[in-house]
Amino acid sequence: MSMGYRYGRPALKASVDVQLQTAFEDGNWNTVIRLAARRAATLKDPYYEAIKICAEAQLDGSADRSAVLTAVDELVKNKKVPDIDILELYEWACRDFIDYDIEYADTFGPLRVRWVKANPKSPIALQSLQACVERWDLVSAQQIATTLDKTYANTSDRRFMFWNITLTFLLSCSDTSRKVYSLLAAKQLERAADLTENSPKLESTDRGLVTEEEVCLYYRVLLRQGAKAEFISRLQSPKLGALSQLKQGHKLLFCEALDALEKWGEWELIFTLCRDALKLGLDGETTLFFVCDLRIWRLFATAASKVADSESAVKEVKEILDKFLEAKPQAIPLYRKNISLAVLETTFRLPAINQNQADSSLSPRVEQLGLFLDQYFDKLAAFDDVKGYVSELSFEEMQGFLDVLPGILDEVRIAHRLSSRDMTDQRKNTSKARLMALKALECRLRYLLTTCPQTLTSQSEGSSQCLMCSNQASLPCEHCLRKIVVEASAAYNEINSDKEILEHIPTLDKDPRLDLAFAIAMSLLKLSGLRPRTSDPTSSSLWQDVNPGLFLQAVLLLDSQLKFTPNNVELRLLLVQLYLLLGCASYAYQLWNPLGVKRTIQDALSPLFFDRISSLSPGLFQGSVPPTEKLRSFYNQSLRDNSPVRIWDAFLAGSYTSILDMSEYDSRLRRSCTLMMTVVEERRARRCYGARQECEIEAHPLLDKITHDTVLVDKTDYGPFPNLESPHGPPIHEYLRLGPGLSNERSHLAFLAEQYMDLLSYKPPKDFKANRPNEVAVRDREYTLDTLDDLSASLTDFINAPNTYSFLTPAERTYYTIISLLSSALFTALSSPRSEPVSKSLSSTTASIKKAFNSLRTTLSPTPNSPASLPALTPLTNLHTLAFLRESALAIKHTSLFATSFHDKEISRDRTGRSGLHRDALSEMRVLGETATKALVELKGHVQKLKEMLAEGGWLDRVLNLCFEKGGDVEKAVEGVVGGREEAEEWVGRVVESWREGVKGWGMVRWE
Amino acid sequence: MVTVRRFRPEDLNKLAKCNLDPFTETYELGFYLQYYAKWPSLFQVAEDQHGNIIGYIMGKLESSPDVYRFSPHYLPWHAHITAVTVAPEARRMGIGRLLTEQLEAAADAADAWFVDLFVRTTNHKAIAFYKSMGYSVYRVVKDYYGDHSADPSRSSEDAYDMRKPMKRDVKREHIREDGEKHEVDPSVVCLAANTFRLAIDICEYTLIDMWLDVIYGTLDITDLLHLTCTEQHFL
Repeated sequence: MSMGYRYGRPALKASVDVQLQTAFEDGNWNTVIRLAARRAATLKDPYYEAIKICAEAQLDGSADRSAVLTAVDELVKNKKVPDIDILELYEWACRDFIDYDIEYADTFGPLRVRWVKANPKSPIALQSLQACVERWDLVSAQQIATTLDKTYANTSDRRFMFWNITLTFLLSCSDTSRKVYSLLAAKQLERAADLTENSPKLESTDRGLVTEEEVCLYYRVLLRQGAKAEFISRLQSPKLGALSQLKQGHKLLFCEALDALEKWGEWELIFTLCRDALKLGLDGETTLFFVCDLRIWRLFATAASKVADSESAVKEVKEILDKFLEAKPQAIPLYRKNISLAVLETTFRLPAINQNQADSSLSPRVEQLGLFLDQYFDKLAAFDDVKGYVSELSFEEMQGFLDVLPGILDEVRIAHRLSSRDMTDQRKNTSKARLMALKALECRLRYLLTTCPQTLTSQSEGSSQCLMCSNQASLPCEHCLRKIVVEASAAYNEINSDKEILEHIPTLDKDPRLDLAFAIAMSLLKLSGLRPRTSDPTSSSLWQDVNPGLFLQAVLLLDSQLKFTPNNVELRLLLVQLYLLLGCASYAYQLWNPLGVKRTIQDALSPLFFDRISSLSPGLFQGSVPPTEKLRSFYNQSLRDNSPVRIWDAFLAGSYTSILDMSEYDSRLRRSCTLMMTVVEERRARRCYGARQECEIEAHPLLDKITHDTVLVDKTDYGPFPNLESPHGPPIHEYLRLGPGLSNERSHLAFLAEQYMDLLSYKPPKDFKANRPNEVAVRDREYTLDTLDDLSASLTDFINAPNTYSFLTPAERTYYTIISLLSSALFTALSSPRSEPVSKSLSSTTASIKKAFNSLRTTLSPTPNSPASLPALTPLTNLHTLAFLRESALAIKHTSLFATSFHDKEISRDRTGRSGLHRDALSEMRVLGETATKALVELKGHVQKLKEMLAEGGWLDRVLNLCFEKGGDVEKAVEGVVGGREEAEEWVGRVVESWREGVKGWGMVRWE
Repeated sequence: MVTVRRFRPEDLNKLAKCNLDPFTETYELGFYLQYYAKWPSLFQVAEDQHGNIIGYIMGKLESSPDVYRFSPHYLPWHAHITAVTVAPEARRMGIGRLLTEQLEAAADAADAWFVDLFVRTTNHKAIAFYKSMGYSVYRVVKDYYGDHSADPSRSSEDAYDMRKPMKRDVKREHIREDGEKHEVDPSVVCLAANTFRLAIDICEYTLIDMWLDVIYGTLDITDLLHLTCTEQHFL
């Protein structure tokens, strides 16, 4: 800005006298007003009048504040070039009104454009551009940038040209009606590209493409425009082509070009580019391993299999790969491994590559897997590296692979035996520890095979047989899983009983007990019958299909592993999910906190704990600071301004692709499902305790740009989970979640439901008294009906969308259906004239509401599968249903209250009685209200009963019996790993205590 | 299998493998985006086959403000490694070395005199690693860190300011052989290295507020410096 800022206030012009300066700096507004008025009268300088208006805007009175808005409005209307000092004073004074009372793009933006057009060479012109960019007024910013570009067209400062192009392009991205701007940006860049290609050397004043950022901006614009032919042609050009850029050490274009070409299926060009890029390294034109990345090798191999002359292509792949294999010894471990994986990749994608290999009883794929594991079996990432490939093996190959694994074991054993004679004790013990690491990997791989459909064969009468163990089985084979539990437990106990191995675990990449614990726990969870939660109403209770004993054993085993590896993230996350399923939210929270999910990573990771948390444990929200506080603070800080965080820095640095990426990231963050989740969870928790909502959800500052058409985005990161599952089935996190993950559909439904609750709970301010009550009442009714109509239509649209139910739990499905029906019923009730019969749709809608509500009530009852020894387990793991039953009951009750109170108000206002509700409508609403009230009493009793059950003694024995009562091989194996029943007692204590804590929180919930 | 490429903002949704490691700090969004906005080529990531970020380096190019040009602590145009981290599962594969080399290449391309970084004097693994890459101790910054990694009873720890000369420094003017003997106060680093600006970026303070807080004693200058500590967890 032209003026400086001190203590957050603008510094006045130097010509202003000290007395006024001091009063302004001190914020002594009454003095400022008095002095400025006096100076304005004496000096006839409008600047002093502006100071006075700004000072008035700092006072509390709304009349004082409106003066500055009027002044700005006049400036906009009079079409004259404004005084920049006055303009900046006003901009400062209006800082709190922008986006609310005035739009920057309608006021200050155009005023700044007007000023810059009149003073294009002033340094303040650049500051005006910054101001518009930082307010994200792209229209004004683009106009200023165009003016600056014209003004400085022949100077060496090329930023103006690219700011102009970038802003022109951004404008077209932000508003689809401005597509022509995209064309304009493309044309300018095309001219620049031609100039670059055709000039032997660019001068500093030439308007060509020089830097990597400028070149990549050009390609981005082409891509966005869908100018495929131009993109491909330019990509192969001598100066701006991808290879030419690579030679200059610029990798970005190459990577982005491959992404685009893959989407278009341009395999011939992908093949050529990858080949030539890899050759550049071999020929010394770039560093050897510059493009020796996973992605390049994968694309290279895939492209070779898809090009017209695949045979020659495969040959070329082999030649290049061989050259890299020759160079492998000089590479750092990262590239050595990348090359090893490239061999695996080509073996799997290009079978022809191994045609001339020597005969072997093993398939080339298995052979290469064996060779790879020979080198890397003891590395932490070994399982993830080979998982995908192993899942692709045929059953015969799987058998071969299982034969290879002990082969590696033998080699390690031989090394171990050798070490007995020749090596030091330390190396001997390290070797023993590595042996156990291999055993752990073998267990994980065996588990993986149980998730691969190739291990099953169909038999007559629809049954199937496990090819691994020859037993009748379905996927996963229970017999194989039991075997894994027993064998992995034996290995686990072997480690724990060998002091020497224990001492050498720190020398390994990973504690093998952790891998073994994962294999055992996953097997137990599968044996327990745990499946991904769906919207199937019959599977609302965890114990409907899950064996509680086996499930508890898995949790116990993982919890006991936590003692040995407390900092392992995978283990902690797994336990957090399992405890949430088990209804132990407070204990899950204790495990979650040390993970340190804070600041920037919250958007991606917080849903792993906070999604649906208010429905599991409203008690967590008791206290002065809600658990979601950090999350809210992250969004408040990151989305405070309209512009993307730090965007001007990117403009100044000439980072044009950063500008585009940051803008896209910002747009996505503002539409984040996690953001919606945060607001909704807090609101639901507040409703539990009868606290006032801070504002209506539509007016929430973080959500005020969300409309029903906004596509909300889920970016939850499931990467840190230990996923032992094959790609043929769902990933592990889908088994562990309470229900389907965040989605656009669920987020919108939650948003709409909250809007409906806002409508029901709206109360006008106490001091509000309408001058014309009848007129206001009519308008209120119209507004209510319009809102209900909108809500009902949007809710129906989302609920009836083809896949919506797959994004909801059964309880959520019923709740949102009820809200949708309620909005429709209320609309009918309020809009039906008293003089005519009420539409029959009202009674059918209320009947549907009651039916849906009652079906949800029945799901709270104990299921036939509830463990007899522990009947309380079912309700403890079904708190989510309890929560949505309560929410549904409240919505019904408030709808009924809204209707009756509306009727009462109308009757007292309009004595003719014509504007009240129809008798039948009123009666329907009252019946609904009574049903909800009765249900709420029942629910309160349900919680009280639960509390009493948990207060009873004998929990320790009952839970332990559930875990170990069968005494079979599996139970004995797990008992051995966790150190017996005595060791498990402390764990049971923690679980029961967490249940008690959760129910205590529910005990404080309001049921009225 | 690993792909090394330039950072992009979407990677912030895939940082879990690195940032859930207790030794890796997670910053505010503005901090990451500032680096991406100003020095995108100095912000590189290593990505695994599932799209998870398993390592990253953040660096910047800067010099001391001109006002310090004649100060003995003036820092000429150089690159600074702000954070380098590798997920536990990807350690010992040379990813830290590779990322550092990439940053050095970018520093050379930007005609920097040297690359520098701060490391705890007790972080022997990191020091050995950097020495193996050609870095040497330029000076010891006393009480640079506000805690002690090995001794909880101590409230501070010294840092080595380590440097590696780039191609521009043909005469090796910006390195020392006996750097361990040169001790400086943290305020020297702060004033000369333009660290205030970075601290402001982290804390969202205004410059004047920061100065006032330091002057009135409500903010310790070392606390300010801790916000800018280099992170090194990759060995």
